[in-house]
Amino acid sequence: MHNIINKIIGIIIVVLIFLLGIIVVSNTYLKKREYSKKFFYMDTYIYVKIYSNNSKKAKKILNEVEGIYKEYHQLTDRYKSYNNVKNIYYIKNNKSNDEYIEIDKKLYDVIEYGLKYKEKTNGLIDIEMGNVIDVWKSYRDMLGGLPSDSELKLANLNKKEIVLKNNKILNNHPNIDLGVIAKGYTTQIVGEYLEKKHIKEYLINAGGNVLVGKNINKKEYTIGIENPDVENDIFDIVKCHNMAVVTSGGYQRYYEYNGKRYSHIISPKTLYPTNYMKSVTVITKNSAYADILSTYLYLLPIEDGIKYVDKLKGVEAIWYTNDGKIKYSSNAKKYEYKN
Amino acid sequence: MQKNMNTKINKYDLILIIILLLLTFLSLIFIYKKDKKYKYAYVYYENKLVKKIDLNKDKNYTVKGYNGMVKLVVKNKKIKVSEEKSPKHLCSKRGYISHSYEQIICLPNKIVVEIKTVDNIDTVVK
Repeated sequence: MHNIINKIIGIIIVVLIFLLGIIVVSNTYLKKREYSKKFFYMDTYIYVKIYSNNSKKAKKILNEVEGIYKEYHQLTDRYKSYNNVKNIYYIKNNKSNDEYIEIDKKLYDVIEYGLKYKEKTNGLIDIEMGNVIDVWKSYRDMLGGLPSDSELKLANLNKKEIVLKNNKILNNHPNIDLGVIAKGYTTQIVGEYLEKKHIKEYLINAGGNVLVGKNINKKEYTIGIENPDVENDIFDIVKCHNMAVVTSGGYQRYYEYNGKRYSHIISPKTLYPTNYMKSVTVITKNSAYADILSTYLYLLPIEDGIKYVDKLKGVEAIWYTNDGKIKYSSNAKKYEYKN
Repeated sequence: MQKNMNTKINKYDLILIIILLLLTFLSLIFIYKKDKKYKYAYVYYENKLVKKIDLNKDKNYTVKGYNGMVKLVVKNKKIKVSEEKSPKHLCSKRGYISHSYEQIICLPNKIVVEIKTVDNIDTVVK
């Protein structure tokens, strides 16, 4: 009898020690750790954080991610040409006599994605607006004066329509501006790349374009929305996972003239910056879509925007009005973080 | 006699073993528990961590930025950039930060200051 009890106790102890061993080993070898990288592309600060139990793999993946941002940065750069990169600068300044020119498939896809939304948004998302943006930029850079109506209208009249065909683009020198989608689109590509590499837990913040995967410690990520009126402050906190959260606002990048602020987001309808709100934040699965939608909503009066979002599935939005009030689409509060 | 000693475990052995096991588990819990007072500022140059600053101590620091020295001031568990060489001085105008979701980004100097603490906000959209 005694022997049997001793044996059982012995077995239990061996099992417990074995379990302890497993805990220690799994904590050192299998525990997922945080790896992050920061870099500067697309005129913005980009931060990527992933979790992995394989440090070599994690570092390799982060390098690849930086490579993706760099590649799309060059492809969507309007102002510079790069060796062997057929970017939108190359399209605008092409000197060949060919009717159509071949471009990088990746750039072709971005342009195609952007064009798709021109009709859906009644022309408010327009990637053919390069001429008008250039006029505004020249005044911003000079830090003086405002463009005249006729100057803006002339620039708009001279715009060239983008025509895509079988990975080629019509060689009519369109002045393409991908500012409304470049960051969100690339962030979406990066998110898909991470999922493909079996990285499920990640957080990306590319200058106001946030994309999160699963959270490793808690169920949801908590994402603060910056207060346009108070520096270093947030006015709301959103909790979510596997979601994109994108803010468009006129308060961060703007141009001040005669005491009036002109945001960098120009309406293709009026050719002037709009002033319906201080910021709008979109919450939805796809980061490219969120980026486009946040700009679209920024260009719409708030009431119209709420009606528009309420008709969509899987999209919510939060507005910060000019007088500092917060407005929600009908189900946005389900993302609200309660402390 | 020797055989008996190897196989028999008495009450006290058992208590000792249990205490040892409990201690091991407890120490594991302590190892993975976060320090509540943990509050540091991490200063990066490009992607490289160049300084880890304890925000519980008021002190001044200097790090090398792209355009020259960048001066940092820690006061009341907050940190700010006080001096730096850049065209618009945006990052020294930014003032003190103290939450993990705040950052000071000096683009011309390629310097980023981040706060690491037990906070509950992961990131901020702007």
